[in-house]
Amino acid sequence: MSSIETPFKISVPDSDLDLLQKKLSLATFPNELENSGWRYGVPLADVKRLVARWSEGYDWRAEEAKLNEELPQFTRDIEVSGGHGRMNIHYVHKRSEVENAIPLLFVHGWPGSFIEVRKILPLLVQASPDGKFPSFHVVAFSLPGYGFSEAPKKPGFLASHYAEIGNKLMLALGYNEYVTQGGDWGALITRKIAQIYGGKHSKAWHTNMPFGVPPTLTSQPLTYLSHLFLPYTASEKLGFARSAEFQKEGTGYFLEQSTQPQTLGYSLTDSPVGLLAWIYEKLVNWTDGYPWEDDEVLTWVSIYYFSLGGPTASARIYYEVYHSSDGSTSPTRLKNKPTIPLGVSMFPKELVVPPKSWTTASGNLVFAAQHTSGGHFAAHEKPELLVGDLRK
Amino acid sequence: MSTEVPFKISIPDTQLELLRKKLDLVTFPDELEDAGSRYGVPLADIKRLVARWKDGFDWRVEEAKLNEEMPQFTRDIEVSDGHGTLNVHYVHKRSEVDGAIPLLFVHGWPGSFIESRKILPLLTESSRDGDFPSFHVVALSLPGFGFSEAPKKSGFTPDYHAEVGHKLMLSLGYNEYVTQGGDWGYVITRKIAMKYGGTHSKAWHTNMSMGFPPLNPLSHPILFLQWMLTPYSEPEKAGFTRWKQFQKEENGYYILQCNKPQTVGYALADSPVGLLGWIYEGLVNWTDEYPWTDDEVLTWISIYLFSRAGPTASFRIYYEAQHSKDSGFISLTGGNPKIPMGVSRFPKDMVVAPMSWIKTTGNLVFAGDHTSVGTNKGGGHFAAYERPEALVEDLRNMFRRGGPAFGVTSKKGGYFDK
Repeated sequence: MSSIETPFKISVPDSDLDLLQKKLSLATFPNELENSGWRYGVPLADVKRLVARWSEGYDWRAEEAKLNEELPQFTRDIEVSGGHGRMNIHYVHKRSEVENAIPLLFVHGWPGSFIEVRKILPLLVQASPDGKFPSFHVVAFSLPGYGFSEAPKKPGFLASHYAEIGNKLMLALGYNEYVTQGGDWGALITRKIAQIYGGKHSKAWHTNMPFGVPPTLTSQPLTYLSHLFLPYTASEKLGFARSAEFQKEGTGYFLEQSTQPQTLGYSLTDSPVGLLAWIYEKLVNWTDGYPWEDDEVLTWVSIYYFSLGGPTASARIYYEVYHSSDGSTSPTRLKNKPTIPLGVSMFPKELVVPPKSWTTASGNLVFAAQHTSGGHFAAHEKPELLVGDLRK
Repeated sequence: MSTEVPFKISIPDTQLELLRKKLDLVTFPDELEDAGSRYGVPLADIKRLVARWKDGFDWRVEEAKLNEEMPQFTRDIEVSDGHGTLNVHYVHKRSEVDGAIPLLFVHGWPGSFIESRKILPLLTESSRDGDFPSFHVVALSLPGFGFSEAPKKSGFTPDYHAEVGHKLMLSLGYNEYVTQGGDWGYVITRKIAMKYGGTHSKAWHTNMSMGFPPLNPLSHPILFLQWMLTPYSEPEKAGFTRWKQFQKEENGYYILQCNKPQTVGYALADSPVGLLGWIYEGLVNWTDEYPWTDDEVLTWISIYLFSRAGPTASFRIYYEAQHSKDSGFISLTGGNPKIPMGVSRFPKDMVVAPMSWIKTTGNLVFAGDHTSVGTNKGGGHFAAYERPEALVEDLRNMFRRGGPAFGVTSKKGGYFDK
């Protein structure tokens, strides 16, 4: 099947760092309307401050070393069906000292990366002295086109192909049975893994971004009736408002990446400032008041900027899924409910926040936790809460 | 109003130098095999254009041509509701026919005053034999575009762009005038017709055919019957297909500019290549196989790159319109303008409404239909630029002696004294 595992350390060439600095020194900023706040997009002051730090003060080599220190990384070739060929996949792999720990595949999304496993990694692999909680062996791969994985070369790299890579990687590591955790694209991909490899290999899946479907009389009669007659709770109403806000003001990036990723990509590839703003907007808008430090933001963005495939490659998953039967406008999207156990953790500042009762449409719900704080990047914002849920 | 100041485009050397430096450092993305233009502008096109931009394209030559062909000016216009005084850039060319019809041409996005380039000599042309009417032409750069100042405060909706256009005409002594516009120019000239129609704006013409079906038999009984009984023509059916396609595959820039113009604006202000790709997509997709030369494209993009307020300012009209009471590009509720309306339909615009739908939007007196012409002849979104003779012919027919809008502005109606 796949070739042997090769240890990997991030080591961005000096020439890339030089080019970045040259571009930053020529940065051209737009003007801004008076008192515009965050309404039109990222405020100018934020971008200028981050660019100033990126040009002077921010030390990529120090951050790179920390990542390499904390996250044991590897690469290996994985063969992908559909003519996509052999792809070199980058991943983090850390085993617990607990020999029969649960193998867990963590799948990131956009604009995330393998870095999202950073805080939960030590907690997940941790051994419980009294056997109070389970431990996990953790695998977190960079999706093709992200981080240090190769990017697809051909059109038509679908959700099922990402799922195929995840499954094959686990099998290659000797984990014939495993569980998964994913949000954003990771939610769709782990759902695919559950559909295709569920039962035989994937034994349970957990997501922090559950799909919710309004109940109908035929699909979920009891829920439908309560939807008609019982009032929604305050937090559910907030969830509706949050979802509506996202639909109204926050989907532009989604439509552009789903339809013209290459056009968008020319500017994101050529302008580190542009890429910074593009990603930073989500880091702020999609989190629950998370206190980002400038260096944290810059490390996150640098992973995109220095990625093997370049930032444009990361946008293409939107196009491929949009034009596939998994697209959000596709009527067959929610067919084939996976049968393996599903756990969800719900955070109030996720982009779309359905009532808990609606999430049973996405899978065989056995565990659901609702939290009062946290947003889209749960593993990064609320690592203890997420790990607590997984342990349960 | 302050006085008019003659203007010549003269981009500082430092800006040309900065462009050169950025192009020298350009980083291109990869591209999928056989991607064609499905994922966006093809890489080969961008690379070719960048190569020309670095070596061969001569902005100073293009700049000189623009200054030569289009007499330009600036003047201050006071805008209501606290938006203050904006310095507005415009083209102004009078016909030698003294009683010519004053015409305000309003561009859209990603257009500019350059869209009046080809129709300018034709519109101002005079006919000694009185074969056709002549026009005095004013083509402004909308605030935030070209060499006009940009609004400083939020809330500068198309209503204020309309105010600027109207006040400009008045300041030039054109108490009565007509308008022509497409894209945002359609929205803005419609607002001019609503607010200043009758007293000042006497007729309006658009090349963007929009409308809604006359679904209410009570409000438009005859139209409703017509609509029910008349099947859609082949070009109209093609128009529906095109519109659906556009909404599904090409509307990303629109929603993004409505949602977060500032966020995307950082990339497009900082990367000339990014801006080139962003605009070029529209120039190709929205036209009827117009044979753009590389230099033509680069001149068009340069106007955005070198614009007074920078390219990001040009996106904000989308946000403002979306967040205004119109809730979007155009609101057809709230009544129609009463002044005579003319529409020219071109087959490859992204929206080609049926005539029965267009009739619900105004007092239609003239319709020019180019939709039956074959491809590469019909024309698309940038009608004044792609099909200048056809558009001018339509305007002449609308306003000529015996035409449906003859004499709306003066007794001479655009002709020499006899």
